Amino acid sequence: MARLIRTEKEVEGRYEEVWLVVEEDSLDQWPPGPREIVGRPAPRLDGHERARGEAVYTADLKLPGMLHAAMLRCPYAHARVARIDLAPALAQPGVHAAIGPGDIEQLAEECGFEGAPVAAVCADTFAQARAAVAAIDVEWEELEAVLDPHEAVARGLTIGEPRVKERGDYERGLAEADVVVEGEYRTQVVLHNPLETHQAVVRWLGDTLEVYISTQFIWGVRDEVAEKLGLPRDKVRVVCHYMGGGFGAKGGADDHTFVAAELARRTRRPVKCSLTRREENLVSGNRNATIQRLTIGARADGKLTALGGEYVNAVGWDGWSSPTEGPMNLLYACPNVRTTTVGARINQPPMKAFRAPGFVEGTFGLESLLDVLAAKLGIDPLELRRLNHADHDADQGREFSGKNLLECYRRAEPHWERRHEVRARSTAAVKRGVGMASQIWYGGGGPPSYAWVRIGSDGRATVVTAMQDIGTGTRTAMAMIAAEELGIPLEDVTVSLGDSARGPFASISAGSSTTPSMGPAVRAAAADARRQVDEIAEQLGKRGAPAREVVSVLEDAQILGKGARGPNPTGMQVLTFGVQVAEVAVDVETGEVWVERIAAVHDVGRVINPLGASSQIEGGIVQGLGHTLSEHRLHDPASGRILTQTLDTYKLPTIADVPEIVSELVDEPDSHLTNLGSKGLGEPPIVPVAAAIANAIRDATGAEVHSLPIDRAEMLRALREAEARERARETHGAAARV
Amino acid sequence: MTTLTVNGHDYDVHGEVGTTLAEALRDELSLTGTKVACGEGHCGACTVLVDGAPMLACITLVHALDGARITTIEGLRDHPMVDAFVRADALQCGFCTPGQIVSAVALVDGTPEPTSEEIRHAMAGNLCRCGAYPKIEEAIRTWRG
Amino acid sequence: MELRRASSRDERVDGGALVLAGGTELVPLLRSGLVHADELVDIRGVVPRGISDGAIGAAATLAELECDPQVPEALREACRLAASPQLRNAGTLGGNLLQATRCWYWRLGWACRLHGGAECFARDGEHREHAIFANGFCASAHPSDVAAALLALDATLLTNRRSLPVAELYRLPTEDDRRTTTLAPGELILEVRVPECDRSTYLKAMGRKRWAFPLVGVAGARVGGEVRVALAGVAPVPWLLEDGFESATPLPDNAYKLDVARALVARVRTALA
Repeated sequence: MARLIRTEKEVEGRYEEVWLVVEEDSLDQWPPGPREIVGRPAPRLDGHERARGEAVYTADLKLPGMLHAAMLRCPYAHARVARIDLAPALAQPGVHAAIGPGDIEQLAEECGFEGAPVAAVCADTFAQARAAVAAIDVEWEELEAVLDPHEAVARGLTIGEPRVKERGDYERGLAEADVVVEGEYRTQVVLHNPLETHQAVVRWLGDTLEVYISTQFIWGVRDEVAEKLGLPRDKVRVVCHYMGGGFGAKGGADDHTFVAAELARRTRRPVKCSLTRREENLVSGNRNATIQRLTIGARADGKLTALGGEYVNAVGWDGWSSPTEGPMNLLYACPNVRTTTVGARINQPPMKAFRAPGFVEGTFGLESLLDVLAAKLGIDPLELRRLNHADHDADQGREFSGKNLLECYRRAEPHWERRHEVRARSTAAVKRGVGMASQIWYGGGGPPSYAWVRIGSDGRATVVTAMQDIGTGTRTAMAMIAAEELGIPLEDVTVSLGDSARGPFASISAGSSTTPSMGPAVRAAAADARRQVDEIAEQLGKRGAPAREVVSVLEDAQILGKGARGPNPTGMQVLTFGVQVAEVAVDVETGEVWVERIAAVHDVGRVINPLGASSQIEGGIVQGLGHTLSEHRLHDPASGRILTQTLDTYKLPTIADVPEIVSELVDEPDSHLTNLGSKGLGEPPIVPVAAAIANAIRDATGAEVHSLPIDRAEMLRALREAEARERARETHGAAARV
Repeated sequence: MTTLTVNGHDYDVHGEVGTTLAEALRDELSLTGTKVACGEGHCGACTVLVDGAPMLACITLVHALDGARITTIEGLRDHPMVDAFVRADALQCGFCTPGQIVSAVALVDGTPEPTSEEIRHAMAGNLCRCGAYPKIEEAIRTWRG
Repeated sequence: MELRRASSRDERVDGGALVLAGGTELVPLLRSGLVHADELVDIRGVVPRGISDGAIGAAATLAELECDPQVPEALREACRLAASPQLRNAGTLGGNLLQATRCWYWRLGWACRLHGGAECFARDGEHREHAIFANGFCASAHPSDVAAALLALDATLLTNRRSLPVAELYRLPTEDDRRTTTLAPGELILEVRVPECDRSTYLKAMGRKRWAFPLVGVAGARVGGEVRVALAGVAPVPWLLEDGFESATPLPDNAYKLDVARALVARVRTALA
């Protein structure tokens, strides 16, 4: 029987309440441990077509008669269009249409950041469209650009409401502390840079709008486009079979889709609007810079008495203020916590959620300062973290649905133990050390999500749902779940995804939510189909026979199963946990830092595909490595204009930069969470990387890094500061002895 | 007009001077296995073999090729390296993968059993944002199956 | 645009024509609109490529030189650590010597001094990867590892017009003349001659392990008791270190390059001792 309930859904730390139609989900979780299929390594179902270059990404899509769009973007950090004339562009060869400020909501005269879209032209070829954009007659009025986050806040230029979170009595907690440590930490702007840039191809087919788009959220794009264009939702079809990475930047339709839609409407031709790599670096979103002023107070025995943080998110001209204060509020047991977070509105391109937004940055600050505390107290860093382990969520006053962080710490011990041997390999010029950091993040997913399972007389099953596989291997995981529940071989299952016209609602692939949201729906659908197969078997007198044999009588008839993601456990906090241990080498003369090994232990509930899971961990660590050591979006300080627009100036890690990575998953089902007990793994692995590396540097050299990336300049600065501290200590020591 | 020899076939290419090999392959010949991710020679996604050597199609002018033999991912679809990548899970979103495989094939053609050092050196020009690097290395080490 | 294959070393290259070899520098510059050409002249048929008689053909690719044992170590190492494998397969020795700066202001087309404009935006702007020597007029850094190696090796270039020490290929830009090379229109680098040396080496500091331009590159070559040291990434031209670091004029945010350079120079000297 269907029920309508109100339940809570979390994505990337933001909570919303949703209405949900649920069928009773009476499926028990599988007992822990690998099953026939689930829990065993499986290669990607779509690996061959991707590897061979046969998969058609939106970037590869060519529709008959398709035109190409190019955009005119504001070249200043803050400007207004004083005058614009599109006529010269329309006169260029190959041009079919041009739109400008006011023609659609996304094109405006007021430009709050470099790259803000102002006009667009479509032509037979992209080169022609670009040439036509260059021909647009436009005059800019450059305006004052506010670039400093503190100044923006002082002037009331903020995004969202400032957040104040308080529990206990922070001042008293500080007073109770035997030791108080403070520090200011800064993180830089980092760019998603998926290898496939943002792409959309839009075509009108009768009164239906077809949107082919490289996206993380097919349904979200459908509803957003329908709403903005005033169309019935089912008159918008969104298709994404293969997409080349998103990392949070492709959660919505974005400007380029609406540009393509309008140009398609005017020309009655399909229009492709895609971002060049420079545009991708400029306007497609970023992990914003942060400034964190942190305080930790503790008793001599190591118990935390106070945690304080003042966080400034340099959000940009638009976006939202991410939960940089999250780790401080959630990670450790501390009765007295006070954090304030403000989002600064500066004339820089808007942020977008990027793989655990806020938590990567906040973990860097918190975990670095925690090691400073450990050193001051003379307590082992792992011990200090264990000592302050939180057995319930004091932030919201809830129990954890499942938490195995202590088990993660236990499994990290052999890796932590290596620190003596690692340090011993130091030389005069190259110091080696080991550091660790805890990981906390979301990843419980939530309703709604639906799936259908269709079985034909050949005994093969198709899972149908309008979800997307953004490279995380979720297609394969869904097939594994269905095969497991149906009791049929994995080779007999296909997954039909990627099209909103075909299949029910599926959640966004962000916030580590696909597996925990879609997985249970797929299992429920498979269970529904299985039940029908069993009923038919009973009627045929073939109880217990394999499904293939039972359904062979069907001819054209089919078994159709449907399933839905049930609600999240009421009143519980669903989180993921982990720890990483980094082994680092520092050339103390040149400031070069390289990571030699990272051991990662994560607790994300039941693991569906250990092969895909280890890839997620490695991928997250590699991205974390780039964030920590080499990636940096730079701008000209005077004008605010972006200087790193290409992949030679914006330095992603290469294969040569990758350390040895050893990963482990606790793989214990979260007994309160859905019929699977699985959480998401997309984001947890990136969260503690920077902190583990920073702490390893500290272990190796005594130097405390306070900003990311840890480039030569920052490393040498920190080394010099450590030397000065050491000399001061020796001087005082000598003075004391005198 | 010029002629390109791609995967053993001769094709007439009509693009004007200044057309890149990537444009000719993708737009004229509809061989979209070769991806363009930056268009400026920085990321390696467009790697193809020119007389067996990995080069960047996005910055190679078709009119400067002068009869060279081009091999794209489409010409390598049955190479054991493809299976090796899938087996090792050496891909995630897959957008960089054709370029990775092309570079990897060239490497093992010359050095059938490359060391980790050699792999890292030879593959350093193929960026992967998903971070599949550890498994790419493993795939190349185990390419013979 | 036209493309013509040169048939002789003294091919006319004038007006809106530009010389094309591997294209790794030229093609991106053309496509991004930073450079314009009516005609490209492909010189690979007329410029020598291999090594013969102690002369290295300027059309040799970096990939070829990277694994040729006849090539002195500093040059081999400079090639090995330059660029990416794909770029090394196409990029030539001559082209690498003539590449333009990676200064982001220049590469993004800001109207800076090298583009004929009135100011250097890096000096008061974002200059963390820029020059620490001779940076008063223009703070761009020369990105060629190979040039530093050849400078340390005291190499001589042979063009279709003259023979010159590699140092004379370069000049600091001035108010009257913003060029950083001394090649005349139609002048082609044909060969590089490297005199015998006892030992040479090249160390490179870059922003990631591979595929990056030098933050600081240090080449050293010893002949008898004399060591020549030349640096990449520290001045608008490849920099011969003659007076040590006395003349360095680091900018506020690139002083770290001095530390890096000092350390690498010391290591190069130790390696060559």
